[in-house]
This record gives sequence, C-alpha cells and structure tokens, in this order.
Amino acid sequence: MVLPFLIVGILASFALILPGIGFFYKGFKNTHGWILSLIALLASLALLLTPPAYSLIQDQTISFTPSLTFDSLGIFFSIAMLMVSVFVVFSSYEFMKKEGNIAQYYSLILFSSAGMVLIAFSMDLLLLFIAWELMTIPTFVLAGFNKKAFESNEAAVKYFVLGTLSTGILLYGISLVYGLTGTLQLNEIFKILSQRALVDPLSLLASSLLIAGFGLKMAIVPFHMWIPDTYEGAPTTVSTFLAAGTKKAGFAAALRVFLIALPLKGLLNEWSLTFAFLAIITMTLGNIAALTQGNILRLLAYSSIAQAGYILIVFAIANGGTKALELGVSGALFHVLNHAIMKSAAFLVAALVIQHSGRADLDYYNGFSNRAPLTAFNFTIALLALAGVPPLSGFWSKFLLFTAAIEANMIWLALAGIVNTALSLAYYALIIKRMYIDEPQDNVKMPQPLAYTFILTLSTILIMFFGLFPDIVISYTQEAAKALIP
Amino acid sequence: MSEALYAWLIWILPLIGAIVTTILGKFEKPRDYLAVLFSFISAIFATLLIPSAIEGKVIHEQVEWISAPPLSIKAGILADPLSIIMANVVAWISFLIMFYSLEYMHGERDLTRYWFFMNFFIGNMQLIVLSDNLLQLFFGWEGVGLASYALIGFWHTDEQKYWVGKIGQRALGIDLAYSPSHAGMKAFIYTKLGDISFLIGLLILFSFSGTFEFLKLAEDTSWVKELSDRGLLPLVAILIFGGAIGKSAQFPLHEWLADAMAGPTAVSALIHAATMVKAGVFLIARLGPIFYLASQTANVSPFFETVAWIGAFTAFLAATQGMVSKEVKKVLAYSTVSQIGYMMLALGVAGLSANFIIGYTAGFFHLMSHAVFKAPMFMGAGALIHVTESKFMDEMGGLRRYMRFTFLTMLLASFSLAGIPPFSGFWSKDSVLKATLYANSPSSYALFSLGLITALITAFYTFRMLGMIFFGEKNNSLEKVEEKGHKVREVRPMMWIPYLVLGVSSLILGLVGPLIESNLEHLFGGYLKESFKIEALEVVDLSFIVMASSLPLIAIGSFLGYQAYMVRRIKVDKIFERSSFVRTFHKFFDNRWYINSIYYIIFMYGILKIANGLYRFLESIFDKSNDALALIIVSFSRAGDLFDIHVIDRAINGTASLSSLFSRIVRKLQTGITEQYVLFFAIGILIVILFMLI
Repeated sequence: MVLPFLIVGILASFALILPGIGFFYKGFKNTHGWILSLIALLASLALLLTPPAYSLIQDQTISFTPSLTFDSLGIFFSIAMLMVSVFVVFSSYEFMKKEGNIAQYYSLILFSSAGMVLIAFSMDLLLLFIAWELMTIPTFVLAGFNKKAFESNEAAVKYFVLGTLSTGILLYGISLVYGLTGTLQLNEIFKILSQRALVDPLSLLASSLLIAGFGLKMAIVPFHMWIPDTYEGAPTTVSTFLAAGTKKAGFAAALRVFLIALPLKGLLNEWSLTFAFLAIITMTLGNIAALTQGNILRLLAYSSIAQAGYILIVFAIANGGTKALELGVSGALFHVLNHAIMKSAAFLVAALVIQHSGRADLDYYNGFSNRAPLTAFNFTIALLALAGVPPLSGFWSKFLLFTAAIEANMIWLALAGIVNTALSLAYYALIIKRMYIDEPQDNVKMPQPLAYTFILTLSTILIMFFGLFPDIVISYTQEAAKALIP
Repeated sequence: MSEALYAWLIWILPLIGAIVTTILGKFEKPRDYLAVLFSFISAIFATLLIPSAIEGKVIHEQVEWISAPPLSIKAGILADPLSIIMANVVAWISFLIMFYSLEYMHGERDLTRYWFFMNFFIGNMQLIVLSDNLLQLFFGWEGVGLASYALIGFWHTDEQKYWVGKIGQRALGIDLAYSPSHAGMKAFIYTKLGDISFLIGLLILFSFSGTFEFLKLAEDTSWVKELSDRGLLPLVAILIFGGAIGKSAQFPLHEWLADAMAGPTAVSALIHAATMVKAGVFLIARLGPIFYLASQTANVSPFFETVAWIGAFTAFLAATQGMVSKEVKKVLAYSTVSQIGYMMLALGVAGLSANFIIGYTAGFFHLMSHAVFKAPMFMGAGALIHVTESKFMDEMGGLRRYMRFTFLTMLLASFSLAGIPPFSGFWSKDSVLKATLYANSPSSYALFSLGLITALITAFYTFRMLGMIFFGEKNNSLEKVEEKGHKVREVRPMMWIPYLVLGVSSLILGLVGPLIESNLEHLFGGYLKESFKIEALEVVDLSFIVMASSLPLIAIGSFLGYQAYMVRRIKVDKIFERSSFVRTFHKFFDNRWYINSIYYIIFMYGILKIANGLYRFLESIFDKSNDALALIIVSFSRAGDLFDIHVIDRAINGTASLSSLFSRIVRKLQTGITEQYVLFFAIGILIVILFMLI
C-alpha cells in the first residue's frame, strides 16, 4: 500500500531537488538532469514491476485509506505512463542539448509524472482532482518552454485557456456529484446513486460535465480543438509527453469514474449511445482530418484523436454484459499501452527530424529511408502498428475492442471502427510510401543519435513482441479489468 | 522431422528468406540466389507432405497463442488434402516464377525490395493455406495484400511506358489509363473494402461461436442455430464472402485486377494469376463445407446462391472485356477474373446440391488447372513484352517464326484456357459446368447456360490473342524496334524454361485429366466425410450431356477466332466498319461496361464534392456563430465599460491569454482562433447534455 506513496514521493522529491541543484550548481548540464530524472523514473518503474508489487495484488486490494487504492489497473496505467516519461526523458538527451533552464524542464516532467501516477491510483474525486492539477499545470509551462518561439507561446496559451476551462468544468462536475451524494469516494458514490430509483437531471448534468472535463485530455471530439495547434507548437518532446502520456491519465481517470462511481452499468442506457456517438465522431473526424494534413505533427495529432475514439468504445459497451465489458476493458487497456509506445515512437521520429532540419512538413520525408534507414524502419513499424496491421501489437487491442462491441450487440459500432481503421491505413501508408518510394529532395545522410535510436528500436521490439505474443499483455489486462468489474 | 514441422516450415522459411534478403541487400548475387533458394526449399517441404495427403491424413498441430479467459485463441497449422494440394500448387509455381525473375528482373533498380516482397508474399500465402483458424488466415490475408500493393507499384517512377491502359482512352470523361502507383492505390482500396467486410463477418462469427478454428466450427455447430435465430447466418457468410470478392476480383469489386497489370509481369503471373487471387476461392473452399454442414439445420442457401451468381456473372462480364482488349496482359487479366468466376460458380452450386463433393472438386480442380496454365501465359507475355517493347497485341504479329518456345508454351496453355480436349482446362471447365446441373435451385439452368456462353467467348478471345500475337505479318513497329538494334528473337533459356515446364505440365495434366478428377473426387470425398461428415450421394452421371453441349460451342468460338485472327479469312475490320451493332458492343465492352467510370464518378469525385461542400457549409456556420458570440462578448464588455466596472477584464487580468477571447473583432491578433475553440467546447458540452436528455 505504501508503494503509490513511495513512487509519488520519489518522483516529487527528485522534481523538487532538480531546480535547487540547477540554481546552486552553475555547471549543471543537460546530462545531469537527464541522469537524475532517469534514475527517478526507472526506480519507480522498477518498483512497479517487482514481484512484491504483484504479491500485493494477489492479496486483493488492501486499502488503509479509502481514497487510494493499489490494484492492477493502477499499476498498469502507471507502467504505461511512466514508460512514456522514460521515452521522453531519454530522447531529451539530444533534443534539449542546447536549451536553457534545463533543470526546470526535467523537474516539470517529473512533477507531471507524479501526478499521473497519483491519478492512476486514486479512488476519491478530490484526490483525483488534485492529482489532475499536479499533472496538468506543469504541462502548461512545458508547452511554452521555447519561450522565444512564437508557436510555442501560442501553443501554451491555447492549451492553457482550454485547460483551465476544462479544469473549471471538471471541478463543477465534481461539486455537483458531492452535492448529490455527500461523498467523494467512488465506491460510496456508486452505492448512493444506485439506491435512487429515478434518474435526475442533475446527475446527468454532473456526468456531462465530467465527460467534458476529462474529454479535453482524452482528445474526444468536440473537445479536441487545442490538440493539433498545441502539438505542433510545443517542443516536440513535450508533444510526445502530452499525446502519449497525459492523455492516458485522462483515460485512467475516466475509466475509474465512469465505470465505478457513476452508474454506467444497468442504470442509464442512454449512456452507451452517447459514448458510441462520441466514439464514432471522434475516430471519424480524427481520421478524415489526418488525411489532409501536410504537417507531420498535425497529422499525428489528428491520428491521436482518432485513436482516442477507438478507446472510447469501452464506455459505449459498459451495458453490454460482463463478457463484453471484460473484453472491452482489456482491449482499452491494451490500446492504452500500445498507443503509449506507438505514438511516442512516431512523435520522437518527428522530434529527431525537427531537431535536425527544423522541418515538419511531410515532403521532407521523401526518400527518408535512404537518409536514415534505421529510423525509417522504426517509424514504419510504429505507423503500421498505429494502423492496426497484423501481426503488430496495434491489431490486438483493436481486435479486442471491436469484438467487445459485437459482443455487446453493437455491430454497427464495430463496423465504424473497422472502416476507420481502413481509412487510417491510407495516410499512414502514404508516409511509408514517401519514405521508401518517393524521390528525395537531397540525399544527405541524416545523423541518427544513439538516444533516439535506442528508444525507437526498443519500441519496435516491443511492438513486434506484443504483436506476436499478445498473451503476456492480455492476461495482465484481463487481471486489471477485474478491478473495474465487480 | 515430423510432418507437422514441414507444414510450419513451408510458410516460415520464405519469411526468413525475406529478412535474409534485406540483410544481404548490398551483395547482389548471393541475395538473388538465396531468395530463390528459400522458395525452393519451401517447395521441397511442400512436396514431402504429398504422401500424407494421398493417405487422406489430417495433420493438425497447435500452440497456445492467447489464453486469458474468456479469450482463448490457439495458433496452428492444418495440413489436410485441401491445403496440401494448394500448398504444392503455390510453392512450385512460386519457385518457377522466382527463377524466371532472376532473368526477367535482371538489372532493375531496388531489387532488394522486389525479392523481399516476393518472399514475404509466398510466406503469407502459405500461411493462408496452412492456417487452422480464421484469424491466422486473416494475418496472411493482410500480408499478401501488402505485398501485392507494394509490387504493383514497384515501378514507382510512373514513366509512361509502365502505365497500364491506352493513354487517352476515356469513358464518361474518366481516364482509363493508370500509372503504376495509381493502380497500386486502386488495388488497395478495392481489396480493402473486401477486407472490411471479411473482418466484420469474422468477428461476428467469433463472438457467436467463440472460436476461429475450422475444425471446431465444424465440430460444434451450436453457433449455427444462434446465428440463424437472429437471422444473421446468411449475412455473416456473405460478409466473409465479401473478403473473397475483393481478393479474387469478383463483381462488384473486380475493377482493380485489370489495372494491377501495371506491375512487373512476374508479379502479375505469381500474385495476380496463379496464387493471391485464388486466396478468395481457397477461403470459400475452406469454409464451404462448414456452411454446407450448417445448411442441414438452417437456411444458408442465399449465401450459396450469391456465390454462384456472382461467379457466373463475373465469368461472363470479364470474358466480354477480354474479347476486345488490345493489351496482352489485360486480356490475360480479364481471363483470370473470368476463370475465377467459374471456380466461385462451382463452389456456390456445390452448396446448393445434394452432392457437395462434385461441385467442390470441380472448383478446386479448375483452380489447379488454371494456376498451371495461366502462370506460363503470363510469363510468356512478359517475354513478348520484353522482346517487342510493346504491350499492345496489334503492335506484335507474326512472332511464331521468331519465338518458337514462347509460341509453343502459349499454344499449349491457350488450348487449355480455350477448353480444347484433352487439355486440362477442358476437363476442369466441364466439371464446373456439370456441377451447375446438380444444383437444387431454380437458377440451375440459367447458371449452366451463362457458363456455356462464357465458354464460347473464352475460346474466341483465346484464339484472337494467339492470332494477333503469333500469326499474320510481322508488324511495322517490330521493324522499328529492330532498327534500334534490338533484335526480335527468342529470349534466353533461363526465361523460357520455367514457362515451358508449366506449359507442358498443363498438357500432361490434361492427358490424365479424367484420372485426376476422379482421384480428387475420391480424395475430397474421403476428406469431407472424415472431417465434416459430409456424405457423397450417388447421382446420375451427366458428363456426356455437358460435353455434348459444351464442345460444339467451344468449337464455334475457336473456329471464329481461328478464321478471323489466324488465317484471317474473316475480315474483322470490314465487319467493324459495316455493323453499328458490333461497334456499339465493342465500345461498351472496351469501356469496361462503364462500371469503372461510374465508380470513379460516384465514389471519388462525388464523395469528394459532397465532403467539400459539407465542410464549407459547417465552416460558414461556425464562422457566423463565432462572430455572433464575439459580438455579444464585446457588447457586454462595452456595457461594462460604460459603468466603468471592467468586470471581465479584471477577472482575467494576468492571464493575458484570455484577452484574446475578445480579439477577433477588437484586435486582429494573430494568435487567432482560441475563442472559436472555446465556443466549440461550449457547444460540445451542450451537445452531450442534449444527447443524454434525448
């Protein structure tokens, strides 16, 4: 039980120490920040992956405070999100080489990571909200980290405006829930709400506000507008962090709140339609917009929106029976993990190219395979996995989600998902075509620094490994799903 | 080594070969030879399995893939007579075409890519053939698709000499000539449509039956009842058939195959004639018995009717287009589509008749014989294009004197295609036609007649093709080619040996044709009884009736083709000039029945226009409402100004950002449209609330 505190403690204390060192020790370099934050992140990951952590789960969920739980679901999310932090920090070794204020950069990432871990384990709306803010506020600063670049500032401002708005809405939703039930603990909320026979408009309003609040992070249409602009303008490693990391925290929170606290199950049938509708417009709009983009960052941003649409299926099928829900949650968790890996890899390739050439337009990728063969290969694998091409990992999570939709009697939802998957393959394939087939504008070799290559190759290995042996992940996600399904 | 291991190796080895090719990319000679060697070893392993197929053994081995209840999926191989024969056809034709490629592709750029995708293709194709479950089959299915798109667009520089179609030909204002990369894209879209339908059918089937395995689906048929109670059974079967329609280029998704001819000819021979396009037929052959079993307890006949009618209609549709095409590869492509139609027809009527085995055997027999005679025709066509530097048949002519081996091969294979006894095509086509007569359906005779007419057309276009290429006078354009110093003569043995081997095989296969047919029937009879409990019923032998009706028609078709294009006693040009009837039909067929153009108009331009219009419309609405909102906000703040309160301003002081909320009209700030986003956000919340209240 101490573990979540321990991890948050490690991350937060390193995050606090870093700026201090940076202030007093004038020779503070990128390398130092890099090493320190890696130590913190890897130590936390190691704690989560060690056998004691597992044995704790076996003994069911022990809780000495009802606000915090320690279950496999939280562990799963923490691992996925901390992995993204590791990827981001690792590649920052190259990306942030020439930047100033480096200690603060790493410190902010660690703070935000601590927030994400806390979200993954919290069972209380107040704690959730605090963790949410702990995660979000550092990212506002991070998005505007290139303080002299106009785009970076614009990105930060847009993100901030929408971010604070969503925080406000979230808080309003939480306060309504409290007003209705008199408690903030998720399990209690469920108990009280399920005793009511009638559905009252206030709880509908509260739920809607919560969807809007979380939706901003989860990149659900119509709360997605800030995403392309922010991902494009923010330093690319920060975009990676936002797209692959904090977005997952949105899902972690939403899964807990909507599946445990708010009576999604059995009480409100309209919910499933609302979420199915949101899922379909989110994936369709994301994919269609991505098709027309000429900028790699915007393309990835829209594709990230589309991917959120697939995960939303899990909320839509919450009424479809235990088997469907089990498959759906399992698929959603698998997709969260996949998306963390695939999206990080894709964004980091873009980061490498931007750092090297300052260019984010797709034309620059023509003939990329000649200039950077290994990077191009890794990128190709990540893109194919995003498109859900078998036998890569992305296929399995979509397979689970769509099967769950059919199981829950929503064949049309699965159909929409499959059509969208096919649609998305078109723009991913176009990038691959550019890299391998089109004639390059110049044939100058591009450097492939070790920091990037290591992370990209690692993600390729993971994508292939999880694709060929999905059993490892699926048996774990099934376990984690039980935390949500009584 | 156990036989099960052979079956694993058959598909794994080519995939390893693909990786080895990439590693050896810099060393050209070892790379090329190793690539061919891998396909050869895989073929040897396939051959080693033949004895067990003859014994009628079923080799089935599984490994755990996913075991996380409620989900349990195993990976495995299933080597039964069906898959072993198919694996051998695929393996040996692949090897011969790989060998032919050594010479044919010699000196091209980017050969690593070529060898990689060829081996990648073979591995995935064999995965389709040897899978014991639908999901694994689907993996292979996607893999061959990927290889196919990549190879169609192999000559990606899109120079005009690589284009397919006659440049400038238009129908309904749509161009009918395409660049290789366009053709690759087209293949991608059409087959993807099929794949979507396949995947959705597959998932529905899975969610009802809980398994992907063929043997389990046949063993425990409780899913049939559940599906048919909800009226989903024929639908699921047809959805899965949709995948076969896309892959095997059947109507209405047939348009991509003719344009896929933009790829290198070796690719057309392997993927678009002998193997990949048969994957659809194979899929139906795999699932046919299962659905036939289902038909004992539920009504599946709409599915089998659909298969039969689509097959018969496609056979006719494509044959008419083959009659008028001037490009040699396109004639062959249309003929492939048409012959696959025959196979589908056979498998469809099999399910409608009391004796499943006759139609089943006929379909598979035709698949085998077609693979053996069509591959050498393509390889021969590749040699012809290589020598004459043209893909148009009217720029060839009189070549029989210069390219004897190619001529011999094409002659043997063409006789088989035309259905002239005793070549293999004759036997297999007759057994398909025979199968239609056993169908227990009102459309049985209609299907039979459509098949007969197609046989006549097939004979005609085959002779037309032979005549235009090899007979008559040497064409002027050939002299121009010779003037450039490129002599018109036979290609090197490394090229003609592989196709001559296949050409002669089609003759041998034909000589022992009846024997093969009865053996296959026996083999499949035993296999279907063993694995699926499908019994063969005694039926009246109709071979004679079929022969008596098909032979005269084939003779007429052949004779007309012979007179018009070989000895050229019928003057085609004159008829064409005189008869407007002939001209009208010629135009109709040559423009592909306008189906291609209509697809382009509706799906490409139509949908693009609608989407664009819709986008603009929404944009303008958002703009207007945005202006309105800004106006309201501004007037509020003006009102605030009046009372000197500055409520809003103060509240947002410090967050400079928020001031941009009012900026659209007040100041034209470049940070732009954040307020619009906020608006969307608000609208979004409203939508969600509204939706839930409904």
